[in-house]
Amino acid sequence: MEELKENKAKELIKESKPKVLIVDDEKGLRLGTQRLLEMEGYHVETAENGTEGIEKGTNNDFDLAVIDLKMPDIDGLQVLAEIKNARPNTVCMIATAYASYDTAIESTRLGAFGYIPKPFTPDELLYNLQKAYTQRVLMLESEQLKKEREANLLELANERSRLSTIINLIGDGVLVINKQGEVVYRNNAVFKNLNIVEAKNNKELLSKLPDKIIDLIDNYLGSDELIKKSYSTQIEIIHNELFVEAVTSPVPNPDGSLAGVAVVIRNITELKKIELIKNQFVSMVAHELKTPVAAVLGFLKIIIDKNLNISEQQRNDFVSRSILRLRSLLDLVNDLLDISRMELKTKQREIVTLDIKEIIKSTVELLEIEAQKRSISFNLVTEESVPVIKADQNEITRLFTNILSNAVKYNKEEGSIKIITGSNENYLIVKVIDTGIGLKDDDKEKLFQEFYRVKNEHTRGISGTGLGLTIVKQIVDSYHGKIEVESQYGEGTTFTIYLPINNNN
Amino acid sequence: MQHSDKIKTILLVDDDIDLLEQNKILMESKGFNVVTAESGKEGFEVFTKIKPDLAIIDLIMEEYDSGFILCHRIKKTEHGKRIPVFILTSATYDTGFKFSSETKEEREWIKCDGILNKPVVVDELISKLNNYFDE
Repeated sequence: MEELKENKAKELIKESKPKVLIVDDEKGLRLGTQRLLEMEGYHVETAENGTEGIEKGTNNDFDLAVIDLKMPDIDGLQVLAEIKNARPNTVCMIATAYASYDTAIESTRLGAFGYIPKPFTPDELLYNLQKAYTQRVLMLESEQLKKEREANLLELANERSRLSTIINLIGDGVLVINKQGEVVYRNNAVFKNLNIVEAKNNKELLSKLPDKIIDLIDNYLGSDELIKKSYSTQIEIIHNELFVEAVTSPVPNPDGSLAGVAVVIRNITELKKIELIKNQFVSMVAHELKTPVAAVLGFLKIIIDKNLNISEQQRNDFVSRSILRLRSLLDLVNDLLDISRMELKTKQREIVTLDIKEIIKSTVELLEIEAQKRSISFNLVTEESVPVIKADQNEITRLFTNILSNAVKYNKEEGSIKIITGSNENYLIVKVIDTGIGLKDDDKEKLFQEFYRVKNEHTRGISGTGLGLTIVKQIVDSYHGKIEVESQYGEGTTFTIYLPINNNN
Repeated sequence: MQHSDKIKTILLVDDDIDLLEQNKILMESKGFNVVTAESGKEGFEVFTKIKPDLAIIDLIMEEYDSGFILCHRIKKTEHGKRIPVFILTSATYDTGFKFSSETKEEREWIKCDGILNKPVVVDELISKLNNYFDE
């Protein structure tokens, strides 16, 4: 058995050529040992005194070192200490003729693996070095294991904290309940999403959970069989302000039995708000569509009702008025379609270089007839060189048609409309100044809202869809421009439109 | 007309002149005398001058609550307390608003005697009015 081990060690040495440092002041012994060990397969280096021994032994990672105890310059024990300090895995043997009990103790304390009494036979030396090398291999292996274990532990710790950081970072609340109905995990978002200000412990947290969530959890915990389905419920946590959706899922054990329930609590307030805005918009649209339809229907019923006996003239009047109502209904539907297309960004845009002066000029020409009927005059003022912009011609034309037709519609008899075109470094600026009925502060704020129409004694009889300025705002926004309104009630209104100049061309 | 010998006068207030004229024609054909106004302000003027037997007021005119305001003003007068006043509106459950005059408290609060949905179904309206005048 012992022999087998020895042979194995010999083979190992031949294979791996252990590096040995011999530190001895006796030249003959140094060279003899070197020759002997090299024959056995060792790689040998020598040092002729303590200083050289420390230098070589600390700068290189020797597998083994044989250190003479008595040297003229530095004591062998000090060499041992220095090497062990720098290279704890170098297995050191102390060789000496002056063996004493004290030095043996001291050298062991300093980390020497063994003690070779001088003079030694080659066999004694080889035997000791084999043992030492076996030790060296063990030490390296155990160090490797230790390193791996440490790395694993570190990774595990990292993984856990990483996971916990991730779960804590997500906006959804995560809550895990065990089979006994106790909270075993919760992240911070649970508190935020359920508006729970404080819970001293998980038990208190449980008592503060909404009933709807408790009911869902109880479904799983109260059932004899494992429920594999997930359930969800929407809860209004703060009236009109905080809505959440809670989804519960079973957490099974490896054997298929129920381990607990996981609850994910998501804040769906924004979604709910959009839903509300959508519903309000649909209601408004329905209302706006219903009125002209009701008017036309009313006229038609009267026209065909034989009992009413209306005059020929009345009938013709009612037909023309029906046509007017239907026309404005059509305008409304077209405006709605434009808004929806723009909101969906499905509108095919053709971006070209536009001369804004031309667009304004042709828009004014179109409105001229309507304006002249009420003796309203246009006055165009333009900077010498107005920069061009890149935009869709239809959209920009629509923008100025809406603004300028409002300026006509809401103007006074014999009023005027002044259009000033200019620019600054970044924007093309168009000011439209009318001498119209003006706006009250209340109206100014709501001006761009869908279907908002200023209603007062002056605006009666002015037709419109209530979407014109909504469309204007959408177009301006879509080009990253802006629009400003100044107004004096009874005096007039000024719209200032800023469109970004494309500097890249 | 079964309800009374005297011809009843109805005040109609609506800023939609088409609907105003239609309702006027229909009610006149049923034997009522109809006076009209196109705003809350005008409505009160006509009310004070004519002293109608009944008033039907559109809710949203110049302002969103013009109808309520007119109603309130009418109900504050001696004559207004004696006659039925109806609010006419298309703002219903379907369009997202809720108005009701089912209970006495609601009628007190809104200061009107009933809510009529737009568009008016004239036959229904007439039978409602006849009920009122018969009482």
